[in-house]
Amino acid sequence: MRSIQRRLSLGLISVMVIVGLVLAQTSLWLFEMGLQRYLEAGLRNDSENLLVALVRGPQGLQLDERHLAPAYQRPFSGHYFRIDFADSHWRSRSLWDQELPRLEHPGLDSNLQLGPEGQQLLVLRSDYRRLGQSISISVAQDYTPVRESFRRMQQVGLGLGLAGLLLILLLQRITVRRALRPLEKAREQIAQLQQGQRSQLDDQVPVELEPLVAQINHLLAHTEDSLKRSRNALGNLGHALKTPLAVLLSLASSAQLDAHPQLRKTLKAQLEQVQHRLNRELNRARLAGDALPGALFDCDAELPGLLSTLNMIHGEHLTLSARAPAGLQLPWDREDLLELLGNLLDNACKWADAEVRLSVLETVEGFELSVEDDGPGIPEDRRKQVFSRGTRLDEQTDGHGLGLGIVRDIVETWGGVLQLQESEWGGLNVLIELPKRL
Amino acid sequence: MRLLLVEDHVPLADELMAGLNRQGYAVDWLADGRDAVHQGSTEPYDLIILDLGLPGLPGLEVLARWRAEGLPTPVLILTARDSWAERIEGLKAGADDYLTKPFHPEELHLRVQALLRRSHGQVNQPTLKAAGLQLDEGRQCVTRDGAEIQLTAAEFRLLRYFMLHPEQILSKSHLAEHLYDGETERDSNVLEVHVNHLRRKLGRSVIETRRGQGYLFGGQTR
Repeated sequence: MRSIQRRLSLGLISVMVIVGLVLAQTSLWLFEMGLQRYLEAGLRNDSENLLVALVRGPQGLQLDERHLAPAYQRPFSGHYFRIDFADSHWRSRSLWDQELPRLEHPGLDSNLQLGPEGQQLLVLRSDYRRLGQSISISVAQDYTPVRESFRRMQQVGLGLGLAGLLLILLLQRITVRRALRPLEKAREQIAQLQQGQRSQLDDQVPVELEPLVAQINHLLAHTEDSLKRSRNALGNLGHALKTPLAVLLSLASSAQLDAHPQLRKTLKAQLEQVQHRLNRELNRARLAGDALPGALFDCDAELPGLLSTLNMIHGEHLTLSARAPAGLQLPWDREDLLELLGNLLDNACKWADAEVRLSVLETVEGFELSVEDDGPGIPEDRRKQVFSRGTRLDEQTDGHGLGLGIVRDIVETWGGVLQLQESEWGGLNVLIELPKRL
Repeated sequence: MRLLLVEDHVPLADELMAGLNRQGYAVDWLADGRDAVHQGSTEPYDLIILDLGLPGLPGLEVLARWRAEGLPTPVLILTARDSWAERIEGLKAGADDYLTKPFHPEELHLRVQALLRRSHGQVNQPTLKAAGLQLDEGRQCVTRDGAEIQLTAAEFRLLRYFMLHPEQILSKSHLAEHLYDGETERDSNVLEVHVNHLRRKLGRSVIETRRGQGYLFGGQTR
């Protein structure tokens, strides 16, 4: 998508240039027309004066010198005339050696070039009948100064127009930037949302943005709400299925089955399979994954509770510790992360002799979680087996397997990498690298 | 040992009651959260098994109210909600242990045993030890100086209670309250008979009678 700013600028420039040019050109043309009409009146006046100055003299028609304007006498003064008779024509003295051509039709013409000085002339030809002869009088006036001032006016106008355009563009840029500032703010907030620094967009926005922001907020709330609801429904489903399962498990170990050990064994095995599958799938379905952009896990607030819970479950003989930079927040759903860390730590506690340590680090690429224990560990050649498809090592019942199934699901959803290493105490170190959310 | 079981699923409650009774526990059963709040804090239970999905009042709320009233009884939460977030919530609300459904009955019995021992200051051991005696709760028999002595169910219950409260004077009414559930008629003569049986099997000095006060177990070891 192109930027709104650029589109607005382009549109504004083209409109301004077209309208400006048309307007300037039209007004110049209209002004010139008016000026010519005014000059035409002067020229007509001059030509009538000339007509009056035509008197019958001793050798026929002659021009009364006294009635002639002095400008007609001075060479190239800018005022000229030409009087055409049926067979001859007279020229004003000011024309000197130049010929003023006779216009083909009576009327005004402004495109006549003349003389060594390249004067541009405005010529008016009028036809009369006087003293029994038809006379055509052409009067001309130097039009160059007017043309020049028009050109200057054009230049000045162009300059002013350009300056005005620049000014308008600048102002428009500022206005647009100011008008779009809320949009920029919303964009920043969405970025913050992605990084988990906020869970809702600020709703103090201009009217135009309100529906958008409201819609996004609604969507966020809706996602969170439906996640909560589906988790609740899953919880209820789990409750509804697991309680009867508990009854069945209890029945399978009841004394009435003492006489049928084979039946009891099969029953127990099948029930365990159902239980395991149910747990795995329900846990997987509970994952929020990437559904919530505003999710946050506050290490300082959550880790102590998790550790004390684990201590309570596994007994006080284990030393559980967590190392995380103060104030570190991980941009993932709280329940997902608790599930991940809870399972990892629980597993570590099952195998550990005395010590389990969780470390959370922020790296350039993302985050690094590691859970170390001082238990027996896993020999290197069997570590790969834990992850290879089809292996049951991580899918065995609680307490015997590694409990890594759900952990692997979560890490995969987040696009992370899970590795098994040897811990500093010789036990297992589960290292998880999680990429930053963008 | 007297237990309160709060569970709304009747077949499961029946199963659990039967199993716990076989283990020598006196069990009262409630299905509603509101009743549980009241009865849990008025009756002298040694341990409470609390389901979280209860009608009337959610289990977590029940637990929170008990703890707000200052009830110190250990509480074992029984729930199908096994996510870590919910576990942490449960333990924060004041639970002492957490067992997720479905579970093997033996798992519950072991947890109950461990929780009872822990709440009486006994470290985690396979057998309960006091006054030179070792009680095997699984097989319900007692060992003294390497010799195994068989016990009846009633004797086992009584001895277990004594062994969890060594060197404490226990009145007959206190014992009756903790050994029988709310529906059993309490007859102090029966208790005397069982104490005498225990004395016959384990030696007279194991349980002293403090006139007007009650019984003292393991007092001679000091």
